[in-house]
Amino acid sequence: MKTKDLRSSGTYVSLATSCDKNYPPEHIIDGNGETFWMSTGMFPQAFTISFPSPTEIADISLQSYNVKGLKIEKCISEEVGTFETLAERELEHTEELLQALKISLNTSTTLLRFTITSGYDHFVSVNEVHMSS
Amino acid sequence: MVKLRARCILVGDAAVGKSALSQMFRSDGAHFQKIYSMTAGVELLTKSVNVPNTSDSVELYIFDSPGREIFAEASEKMWGQPSVMCLVFDISSEASFSSCGRWLERVRAHCQGLQVPGVLVGNKSDLSSRREVETATAQEWAQSQGMEYFETSAKEMESCDAPFICLAQAFHTLYQDRLNTIQSIVSP
Repeated sequence: MKTKDLRSSGTYVSLATSCDKNYPPEHIIDGNGETFWMSTGMFPQAFTISFPSPTEIADISLQSYNVKGLKIEKCISEEVGTFETLAERELEHTEELLQALKISLNTSTTLLRFTITSGYDHFVSVNEVHMSS
Repeated sequence: MVKLRARCILVGDAAVGKSALSQMFRSDGAHFQKIYSMTAGVELLTKSVNVPNTSDSVELYIFDSPGREIFAEASEKMWGQPSVMCLVFDISSEASFSSCGRWLERVRAHCQGLQVPGVLVGNKSDLSSRREVETATAQEWAQSQGMEYFETSAKEMESCDAPFICLAQAFHTLYQDRLNTIQSIVSP
């Protein structure tokens, strides 16, 4: 099992519903635990991660703060628009500590969509997403 | 520079001027509804507010809700998770002021324990000769509930922006607080 270095493989965050330029969505896959993406109010919030070619994903791990409902979907058509749900979770509330979630996906796709349906606060952060194949 | 988004729930008894106030605010005073038209469904208005002394702004999604009880229950379903609230009464109606506690409870029931900044607005300040609620009384109650108090006259375009700017500011402060919290977790 190997952990992907997401940025050097040409992977990028192709959409995000919030953008504070000091806490941009790029921080989600920059491999730096000290940086994060911050949502700027209201739910749902979403971001998508695009891969340059169909990519095998075994597990995904996510670090966040104050996220409650989370849905992960993959795009199943050539054109973006049709999605299939891979996982839906309700995360536990943490204080003074990031939430750490690990999910087995065992799938292959060119685009993943993460939807945060609710939060434990008005604002949530996603600090890091890692994948392994 | 960041643009925040807030769901602003606007409540209070029927005919206190919620719609007039929000429309004056939205249109920068260009639109005062002279003829009363009762709000039955929820009217959604949006406006961006600059947060004073920053380069940031808050886009307010104002959910103007009906005050009349038979419509109120259905409209609550549209509120979702409120970010901020604006509670309005009519300074010439003691009854509309006494209802404020009930409206507050109603909104709080949707807040899931979150801190939701609020303002209390005494509207129709132009009707001072018929005033039934003293400024000090309203101010005191607002303070006891952790809210700022404003008096406005949608009709005379008096201070209609002030309560909304205050809400934007409070929401912006919450955002800064949360950023600091997360920052201190990731790089103590």
